[in-house]
Amino acid sequence: MSAGTVRYAGYLFILPYLTFLGLFIAYPLGFAVWMSFYDYFFAAPGAVVERPFVGLENYRALILEDGIFHTTLGNIAVFIAVNVPLTTVLAIVLATALNARLPGRTFFRTSYYLPYVTASVAIIAVWGYLFFSDGLVNRVLGDLAPEPSWLVNRTWAMIVVALLVTWKNLGYYVLLYLAALQNIPRQLYEAAEVDGAGVLAKFRHITIPGLRPATVLVVILSTIIGANLFTEPYLLTNGGGPENQTLSPVLYMYQKGIEQADAGYAAAIGVTLSIGVLTIAAVQRFALERD
Amino acid sequence: MAVKARKPGFSPRLVRVLGQVLGFAALCLGAFLFLFPFYYMVVGALQERPDPSIAGAFPGPDELSLVNFQQINERVPLLQALLNSLIYTGGVILGTLTIGILAGYALSRLRWRGRELVFNIVLLTLIVPFQLLMIPMYVMVVRTWGLGDTYLGMILPFLVNSTAVFVFRQFFLQIPEEMLDAARIDGAGELRILTQIVLPLSRPAILTAGLITFIGPWNEFLWPFLVTKQQELQPLAVALANYISTVAASTANPFGAILAGAVVLAIPAVALFVIFQRYFVQSETSAGLKE
Amino acid sequence: MVKRVGAIPVWAVVAVVALSACGDGGGASDATSATGPIDVWLSNNEQEIAWGEKIIEQWNRENPDQEVSYQEIPAGESSEAVIQAAITAGNAPCLIWNVAPAAVPQFQRAGGLVALDSFEGGVDYARERLGGRLDQYVSPDGQLYQMPWKSNPVMIIYNKELFEQAGIDPENPPLATYEEFFRTAQTLNEELGIAAIWPSADQTFFQAWFDYYPTFIAASGGEQLVENGEAQFNSDVGVQVGEFWRSLYDAGLIPRESAPGDAFGEEQSAMSIVGPWAVAVYEDIDWGVVPVPTPEGTPSEEIYTFSDAKSTAIFTACENQRTAFEFMKFATSEEADRMLLEETGQMPLRDGLMEIYGDYFDQNPLYATFAEQAERTVEVPNVENSIEMWQRFRDAYTTAVIFGREPVSEAFSAAARDIEELVGKSGQ
Repeated sequence: MSAGTVRYAGYLFILPYLTFLGLFIAYPLGFAVWMSFYDYFFAAPGAVVERPFVGLENYRALILEDGIFHTTLGNIAVFIAVNVPLTTVLAIVLATALNARLPGRTFFRTSYYLPYVTASVAIIAVWGYLFFSDGLVNRVLGDLAPEPSWLVNRTWAMIVVALLVTWKNLGYYVLLYLAALQNIPRQLYEAAEVDGAGVLAKFRHITIPGLRPATVLVVILSTIIGANLFTEPYLLTNGGGPENQTLSPVLYMYQKGIEQADAGYAAAIGVTLSIGVLTIAAVQRFALERD
Repeated sequence: MAVKARKPGFSPRLVRVLGQVLGFAALCLGAFLFLFPFYYMVVGALQERPDPSIAGAFPGPDELSLVNFQQINERVPLLQALLNSLIYTGGVILGTLTIGILAGYALSRLRWRGRELVFNIVLLTLIVPFQLLMIPMYVMVVRTWGLGDTYLGMILPFLVNSTAVFVFRQFFLQIPEEMLDAARIDGAGELRILTQIVLPLSRPAILTAGLITFIGPWNEFLWPFLVTKQQELQPLAVALANYISTVAASTANPFGAILAGAVVLAIPAVALFVIFQRYFVQSETSAGLKE
Repeated sequence: MVKRVGAIPVWAVVAVVALSACGDGGGASDATSATGPIDVWLSNNEQEIAWGEKIIEQWNRENPDQEVSYQEIPAGESSEAVIQAAITAGNAPCLIWNVAPAAVPQFQRAGGLVALDSFEGGVDYARERLGGRLDQYVSPDGQLYQMPWKSNPVMIIYNKELFEQAGIDPENPPLATYEEFFRTAQTLNEELGIAAIWPSADQTFFQAWFDYYPTFIAASGGEQLVENGEAQFNSDVGVQVGEFWRSLYDAGLIPRESAPGDAFGEEQSAMSIVGPWAVAVYEDIDWGVVPVPTPEGTPSEEIYTFSDAKSTAIFTACENQRTAFEFMKFATSEEADRMLLEETGQMPLRDGLMEIYGDYFDQNPLYATFAEQAERTVEVPNVENSIEMWQRFRDAYTTAVIFGREPVSEAFSAAARDIEELVGKSGQ
């Protein structure tokens, strides 16, 4: 078998993916980038409309002048700071615990997975009901409840959103880790036991390194999913309240592009966000895979 | 247990037992945190009027009713919608797995020029928010290709699922190179190696990717809604979202209606998970992991 | 001239082809005179579908060669996104019976709507139905791109039982002036420990239509948020209305958080600000209805309010626009409007409701008050960037009024500056 055949196979295997990628991502994305240089809006086929070329004006206004956009970036930073570490740590702990032979394992696995399969709109309705000022959480907390209440509290609102997303998606990351745990050769553990390694030592020296590829995946995925946060502030805090403190960049883009029909500007938001996330993900991958 | 007895020394039995107890306690606490909102959701769906008090979270049997579900049954063609959901979701899973396995294999085990570039593009596609691409994609699928009101129009954009590609790539990376090399020396083609050696080892990854893929189309309502206006073609999520939007606007208990809709949507997903989840862990592997 | 980058030539070619295909040959006028089958979209509201099915059945019986078929679209916020996407893809239906007037400028700019001016007698027909109020629906270019269809005039309803419990006369509650309203709200809160009234605290652009805007219209004697490119809310009256709401929030009489369910229905609040749709929803509650409060208690027969109206519009993608126009007239006739009233309880947007449907209102007195109010409604201004304008206003309102973190006058004048620039863009 020559190297040439292998290379040829590589192209062949990647072809279907690249085809779909070109049609459903590259083309609309290219279109969006193009739009972002215009005062663009969507119009009916054949309609005579004026959509002047504005160069970098959308980007200039967005990056230099748009206070709301800056707020959304701060918001998403808070979100990621809460969500990503929490997700990674909890997912590793739970996956490891679930991987052991414990009574009721099926039950536990199913319960962690439930929020992930449930439609966002219902999850959000329940959380909204639990966390509103007169809801169950505050009734249990009594005097300890924050004032103003969680979802209208400028500090807490985004944290609650971040916890909600962590909670909802954790089951998915646990699955990723479970799959990865299956792949750590059990001989490694047996060898370590022969050497007299304890529970924690094995966890630190075998499990954690064994999970590294999965951890790269989880950190990057949860960052990306976080950066694309949309549904939760859209529904839970009703469009990014209080006072835009949970407004996410994608929700802002949606408001500009879909609600307010300012597609050129919205595209500039999307492109700027994508470049930012790309940079962060690249840094994360570099940091986690080297080391 | 007999195995443990053979290895005396560094980690005393007590530590193991303690670890297991702690792990079990963590799982129980986690399960409570995960199940409670879900329980609250079911209770909310079964109540005629929502009750945010502490006692309201534990209603007696006489306070429950199926009114919210009866209303759904009257307004939504459940069987037809379920069938549509199965076709839509099934199509997406089949397509995604096929494309994802091929691409994941090419990106992990085959050498070809541009591989790193393509892998970075996979990352990039995760980063682009769907809301940015939606309208150009819609115009292409519906107007250019004339796929409005078809299953294909609903399915196609979901086939570029980079998460699935990612999952397969990370999983395939962990398969020992020697196994593949041995087959290559025997003259096996890459497709044969993939189907006869790699895939049989990859059941957890296939299931993981399948379940992850499943959730997207199963709960998605915006895209299929844009593509299909005919009720006979609408998946369950779209039918329920329509129902919720109507009912929420004109009923005294929108909360109950939303939750009941979500419970109906979640039941098949949860059932599927319960059926398949035992395949996640191959029994022989887990036997080797005692913590 | 537009500067061009790589991708443009393709699009330019597409545009030219599209134009030469339907523009030169008088394609537009062909479509406005063509008849044949048409498709329409109805909102997925159960009662409106029942109405639509009846009207369509009648029409189809009388016009078998111009059959009308319908599909449902969501009644909520996402309907605008759906309509926008359909306009862009060129597969919008002939008529949509759920177009928010605030979204008309957008759809018009996208070339999605056919002006009623293109049909003979089109504007006259609308004017005959609605009278002078039609002017509020005319677009800045002087054409009429929508047929005002129905309204849900916004009023205050109150729970009589709760009022009685709080020791307030349920038949004649003091709610006319700001002072009365505030004191009543205070009493309710002190006696019952519930919210006096609970408008949504959401920051979504349209929420202003259900707290500030109706009271502003009433206080100003019927002004729109913006008139002739000038922000009207940045006036003494406008700020006074803002201060009024703020005093209710500051005193804790309105929660700063949206109710998780239906506050009025669950008796979490004693009052609500609603349209006539409430009649059917709150069947189990004994309630009364009064106009929105004004600073000095304007006589109720002089009070204007927000219309919360929906229009129907003809879309350019329609092939048989003549049929669409005829069906639109058919479905907004006196008879069709009676059916709308009976099926949905929403007010047909036409003059003389009380005279024409007097018998109905005699039998349904709760609707009668709304019908009287329906004669005095004010619409959202028909300006470009309308949604962006409302969002900007709501942002200022949220900060200054709901959360009280900025003086109302300052927040409003800053918003006024931005908004005047936004709506001024339409002149370019």
